[in-house]
Amino acid sequence: MFNPAVTLQEFLGEIINTNVTLQEFLEEIVNTLYMVGMSLLIGTIFGSILGVVIVVTRRGGILAVPFVYFILNFLINIVRSVPFIILMVAMIPFTRSIVGTSIGTNAAIVPLIIFITPFIARLVENSLLEVGPGIIEAAESMGATPFQIIWYFILPEAFGSLILSLATATISLIGASAMAGVVGGGGIGNIAIIYGYQRYDTFAMFATIFILIIIVQLIQSTGNTVARLIRRR
Amino acid sequence: MIELRGIHKIYQKKDTEIHALEGVDLRIEKGDIFGVIGYSGAGKSTLVRLVNYLEEPTEGSVIVDGAHLADQPPSALRQIKKQIGMIFQHFNLLESKTIYKNVAMPLILAKKSKKEIHARVSELLAFVGLADKAMNYPSELSGGQKQRVGIARALASNPKILLCDEATSALDPQTTQSILDLLQRVNKEYGITIMLITHEMSVIQKICNKVAVMEEGKIIEEGSVLDVFGHPKHPTSRNFVQTVVRTDVPSQIQEQLKQQGVHALTKLEMVGEHATQPILATLIQRFGLTVSAVFTNMTEIQDTTLAIWYLDIEGKEEDKANALAYLEAQGVRIEEVSI
Repeated sequence: MFNPAVTLQEFLGEIINTNVTLQEFLEEIVNTLYMVGMSLLIGTIFGSILGVVIVVTRRGGILAVPFVYFILNFLINIVRSVPFIILMVAMIPFTRSIVGTSIGTNAAIVPLIIFITPFIARLVENSLLEVGPGIIEAAESMGATPFQIIWYFILPEAFGSLILSLATATISLIGASAMAGVVGGGGIGNIAIIYGYQRYDTFAMFATIFILIIIVQLIQSTGNTVARLIRRR
Repeated sequence: MIELRGIHKIYQKKDTEIHALEGVDLRIEKGDIFGVIGYSGAGKSTLVRLVNYLEEPTEGSVIVDGAHLADQPPSALRQIKKQIGMIFQHFNLLESKTIYKNVAMPLILAKKSKKEIHARVSELLAFVGLADKAMNYPSELSGGQKQRVGIARALASNPKILLCDEATSALDPQTTQSILDLLQRVNKEYGITIMLITHEMSVIQKICNKVAVMEEGKIIEEGSVLDVFGHPKHPTSRNFVQTVVRTDVPSQIQEQLKQQGVHALTKLEMVGEHATQPILATLIQRFGLTVSAVFTNMTEIQDTTLAIWYLDIEGKEEDKANALAYLEAQGVRIEEVSI
């Protein structure tokens, strides 16, 4: 692969020589952000609800229904056991029945939601369980209803941690959305696969990686900053 | 105000049963500052949580202000809980909310108007001396200040009862004193009945009027603080009393007395104005006895004085008997102690 006889000029020329147009590249970035944004939005709604439910229904929770907890916990584990790339392929019939196609950005959103919802549920669960039993005891001593305990005590106390969880989930989604490119899902992963992998376009490959790094760094540092502001510690 | 009848509490832990409370009966009257003292694991923490039903008894009944808690549906129970404030060893404040919001929380839960909340919170923050900290966060406060916030929060819904779960155990002695002063004001100015649990006898000494001593899930001694401090009956109570008041003769003094051939002492216990009577002078001048005070201790409890004197009295048996009868008639409690 590495040929010492190649001059620097030739080497650089080989790297910069690319077939991806800037427009194509920008379009796919937008596609990635669209896929991640949509699945994050819907996944956060379902995942948060699921996370709250498995926290309050567990044994010793404020609305303990161990049976419900057991079922949901089991379901979450099942989905979480399947790697995204397999989940995506296995879900093709399901996706097609919902979106009408299994190719394209919209089609990729369906498996992304199924993938991220249980993940967010677990992250939310962890964040909520960090809230000390003392806080819940104080809430109960004030005669708060179970809903009030969740809304006025547990969620605000866990908010900083929830923001960090959301950053983790987003980054995980970006990784998964890039995989969607393998089955024609669109997005920046598509460029890496079609140009970088199939056409040996080194520039396209590195440009994709570079963009991904930038996006991930931005999300993580934003998450950290917001969480720090909220936590006040 | 608070009545516990035949309480048993059993925790199921895997295969073993933990008997946290074994047949507890307790009555706390309106206006009391009732202290429950015991070593850790004695069951006092479980006991205080029964009063606002954070814990339910396995057996027995809890009656608060005439209501049997076991018979209440959840919504009625929540209303009763609003009548019972609680403060905690580790304060349990919401770290993510300002002091103002923390104190306002019980009122927000009760859906009071913003105006009403503002008036009440301002009043309470002024009462606990933290009016200038309203917009700060708990992490910016010292332990004593956090407990003041806890007290203000517990008072927000105008409760009749305040439960204190080791409220001063995480504080240094000076801060403890200021929190105890505040609790005393809560009791006097708002007429709130206080039940507090602690492992420090000094807390009981400073503010309680009644005390119950707990050991292994049972109340082993109960009574007015003056009685229990003056003559504790159970060895454990005696140990607790010893931590703040010396009620027995130090062993070194006992050794010296034995060498001098003294084997019996007369213990006098006097409360209030009796403690300041000229006892020695009376015994010497009026009854012609030879008296030496071997050991004395005076302690202030509940704004009165408890005095304990160990006397070596010599003289005619008849004179001595007359003298002691005279003192007893004066309200002095007398006990012959051999050493």
